[in-house]
Amino acid sequence: MTNTEQVATAVAAHAIAASKVYGMGDTEVHALREVTVSFDTAKFTAIMGPSGSGKSTLMQCMAGLDRLTSGQTFIGDVELSTLNDKQLTLLRREKLGFIFQAFNLIPTLTAKENITLPLDLAGSKGDQAWIDNVIETVGLGDRMKHRPNELSGGQQQRVAVARALASQPEIIFGDEPTGNLDSRTSGEILDFMRRAVTDLGQTIVMVTHDPITAAYADSVLFLADGLIVDRMENPTADSVFDKLKHLGD
Amino acid sequence: MLKLVLRGISANKGRLLLTLVSITLGVGAVSGSFVLADSLRAVFSDISVQAFAGVDAQVRAIEPELQSSQDLPRFDDSVIDAVASVPGVEVAEGGVFAFEQVYTTDSDGQVVRPLGPPVFASSWGGPTAVSSFTLVDGEAPIGQQIAIDEVQAKKAAFNVGDVVTLTVPSGIPEDFTVSGIIRFGSEPGGSGGAYFNLFDLPTTQRILNLEGQIDSIVVAADDSMTSDELLTAIGDVLPDGVEVVSSDTVIGEQQDQFGQIVDIIGNVLLGFAIVILFVSTFIIYNTFAILVSQRTQQIGLLRAIGASASQVRLMVLLESVVVGLIASIAGLFAGLGVAALLKWVFSLGGNQFPDGPLELRVRTIIVVFVVGMFVTVVSALIPAFKASRITPLEALQNTAQQQRSLRARIITGLVVLVPGLALLAIGLFGGSDNTSGVLTALGLGSALTFIGVAMLSALFASPVASALGAPVEAVKGVTGRLARDNAARNPQRTAATATALMIGLALITGVSVLVQSLRDTFNDIIDNSLSADLFIFEEAQGLPFSAVLVDQLGAVSDVDLVAGFSVIEAKVDGEVESVGGFDTATGTGVVDVGILEGTPELASDEIALNDDKANDAGYALGDSVTIEFEDGAVDTFTVASIYDDATLAGSMYLDRSVTSEHVATDNVAFVGLTYVDGADPAQARAAVEEVTAAFSQVTVQDNAEFKASQKAQIDQLQFLLFGLLGLCLVVAFFGIINTMALSVLERTREIGLLRAVGTTRSQLRSSIRWEAVIVSVFGALLGVVMGLLLGWAAVSAVGDFIPNLGIPWPLLIIFLVIGAVIGVLAAYFPARRAAKLNVLDAISSTS
Repeated sequence: MTNTEQVATAVAAHAIAASKVYGMGDTEVHALREVTVSFDTAKFTAIMGPSGSGKSTLMQCMAGLDRLTSGQTFIGDVELSTLNDKQLTLLRREKLGFIFQAFNLIPTLTAKENITLPLDLAGSKGDQAWIDNVIETVGLGDRMKHRPNELSGGQQQRVAVARALASQPEIIFGDEPTGNLDSRTSGEILDFMRRAVTDLGQTIVMVTHDPITAAYADSVLFLADGLIVDRMENPTADSVFDKLKHLGD
Repeated sequence: MLKLVLRGISANKGRLLLTLVSITLGVGAVSGSFVLADSLRAVFSDISVQAFAGVDAQVRAIEPELQSSQDLPRFDDSVIDAVASVPGVEVAEGGVFAFEQVYTTDSDGQVVRPLGPPVFASSWGGPTAVSSFTLVDGEAPIGQQIAIDEVQAKKAAFNVGDVVTLTVPSGIPEDFTVSGIIRFGSEPGGSGGAYFNLFDLPTTQRILNLEGQIDSIVVAADDSMTSDELLTAIGDVLPDGVEVVSSDTVIGEQQDQFGQIVDIIGNVLLGFAIVILFVSTFIIYNTFAILVSQRTQQIGLLRAIGASASQVRLMVLLESVVVGLIASIAGLFAGLGVAALLKWVFSLGGNQFPDGPLELRVRTIIVVFVVGMFVTVVSALIPAFKASRITPLEALQNTAQQQRSLRARIITGLVVLVPGLALLAIGLFGGSDNTSGVLTALGLGSALTFIGVAMLSALFASPVASALGAPVEAVKGVTGRLARDNAARNPQRTAATATALMIGLALITGVSVLVQSLRDTFNDIIDNSLSADLFIFEEAQGLPFSAVLVDQLGAVSDVDLVAGFSVIEAKVDGEVESVGGFDTATGTGVVDVGILEGTPELASDEIALNDDKANDAGYALGDSVTIEFEDGAVDTFTVASIYDDATLAGSMYLDRSVTSEHVATDNVAFVGLTYVDGADPAQARAAVEEVTAAFSQVTVQDNAEFKASQKAQIDQLQFLLFGLLGLCLVVAFFGIINTMALSVLERTREIGLLRAVGTTRSQLRSSIRWEAVIVSVFGALLGVVMGLLLGWAAVSAVGDFIPNLGIPWPLLIIFLVIGAVIGVLAAYFPARRAAKLNVLDAISSTS
């Protein structure tokens, strides 16, 4: 099983001693305190923690949306702090995918156009077979010509997931991707994300506060006060819930 | 409540600032035109008082009904002695003056004259108690001496003792010695830039060919009589047709005359100010509409916690009141600047205005505040009502604003547009002689038309913007696609934004069409109707000059045919009209007026009529027309020819031998001549110019030169109008910046998302820039189309005088390009701001 081990140890993104401080003096808030962490390729990782634990900050800094106060973050072997805005933008466009909680889609573009937006921005055609495959997997073939306001919340999030997948990114970041959905729709989206990892070999890092959502992941990172306090492999909703209950202890 | 309003304003400072600029521009123009008019009126009224200091009464001829020249009517100078012999009269000084007849020439033989203001030749009895002039240097003129005003003396470097050659109506230049330098009134600048050439009375009468005639006697009396007694005593000795009035009456009349000129300047400026304000209303409306829609949730929340619909409405209106107030204050002060600037601009044109403070009257302040507040509040009315219709539910769900039904929009649009077009048609084709009525119909008609088109344009804003954006998308890819979609996504906003530009460019295009038509008409006439080898006329203002020149030119050996054209005022079948006087015997060889029926040559009892005039008045060949002349003679003329070309010959003409008999001063406005066959053109022209040299004010031009000079004059008019209307484009420019800035703000999250998924800053800027270009080109396109229609309608309305419709295609292309450039420039700051947004903040922003 050397082959599997090699895949398992490949790292899509990692952070070394990542710190983020907001404000100055008395109002100083340490969102991240020298966090060192890595996210494995072809794995689905959930980041959990109470409000203010730094889970969103970690994700945003990993994704190049925000800059660290000190420390380093890497996508593959590219260190983000060495990149200027333009390089960061191109990195996001080519190597990263995003799924936000809400407002994921440009209202004036159709579902299909939203999916291919990062590719269009780069002026590339992308891998047409892959895109067709993604759209088919999302299961919205007949809705591709519709605009976001003609789609339900669940359908919109599916389009957002498809967009994140379309450019075959090295890693996809999700910020509470199902936070606005009812449990049934939420389950559909998470199933779909799970399959993207298992069947299509994608890497997903997702911030969530919901144990049921976290249970879809391969592993869960727990943050509190800007520190990683625990890591759980093959989580279940119950085990995550238990862990959360005792996180404050 | 007020706290909420003030907080709302201070939270939206940036958004309201650009709106303020556009209102301030409009209000500033209003304030400026009032301040300028008041200042000029005050200063000129002081000058009238100064000029008549020491005068108790003035004797003058009663104004006749018909008057072909701008000079005063004259009477016999024997009246001077009669008035002087009235007991109690201490001074009775008779005088005569003429307008634009006598000019000095400089050492190069060039005429000395200001650009615009007139040149007067007048008699002067020296610095007496009744004199309007003050001696600055030297002495009063006697015999072959002249006193020159200080402005002219400075310009031409004339000094006391210099010998100056003068152009006089006789056509034989005369040398005069400068005896003194004078000024009108006692303070510098009193003449408003006009030049004065003063002589003693007999010399003035001689050179003006007015022996024994005067036009006024100024009287100073001792204190033995009251003013009324004096007027009665003098009145008793006056012959028929001569009257006496008090100096107060004269001062009042002069002030009225100045007032009329000042009113014209003031009203023209006010007209442009109103256009600017009108354009601003669309921008104010747009700003408030966007502000309301952006605060839908906030307003919904207010409604949910108990604010009534009328309170919400009041809140928005109060906001507009505060904005209007600030803009009015700023506009008031901007107006003082505008007035000072305009005074300076006029002084460049040669109209030296006397120094005086800027008059800021209470009336101006009131008008400025009323106008500023009214325009702002009225523009905010519809947004305020829309705000009051927001339901509490909308606080919870940020639903898209409900679009008004298509049908309602078409109906309201048409309800405004149709009467607008009707008023325009009445104004243009109604044939009314009531100028202010016509102007009101045209103004109101165009305003309603513009509003109607603005409302209806929202119906096709999306498809047109989308079509305009198609090439952008083809070239720029998804960036262009976003620009195209954003320009088309909110048709109401796109239409309202484009409207400001539409109005500005519609007016500019309309003027261009009118001017081009004028140019084409002139070229057509010069090419096809004028067969003269040389044209002689006064170029600066088209003033008439002595008819002696026509006879002198006829004597030149290289000259074959000479024809002069003059215009007199006469009563034709009881109506006062302009009647031409044309040398018909020689004229047809020089000018082709397009004779349709009858003979070109007129006998002394025959008249030629323009075909439209003949149709309107029901004349045919052989009918008789009765004409009463200014000298009182009444004659009957037989219609001997009907001609086509009203531009050249007006609505009717007689033979010039007839008209010259009945006027006090025999002048012509235009002379054309041909060379004898085989004459050397250069030599012939030199011979002609030798003769015209005695009339230094006239210009001699051949066909090509004449064309060029006509074009230059029309160009000048066009540039002036472009300059004033260009202000509308400035306002429109601010409007587009404003809308783009607000739209960018509204789309903050969308922009954050775009940036997150890999839109570079330059891609984002490009997208916003192209969006602005699409919106502004939409406006420019509408404006050009509207302008073409307006221009076409205006040209058709005056088809008699401008038969050629000229469309300046290259200019129209330039206007569209200007529209695009305005879009690019207006997008600069909004695009920069959007590109600078922090991605995370933008994504997580709530509005």
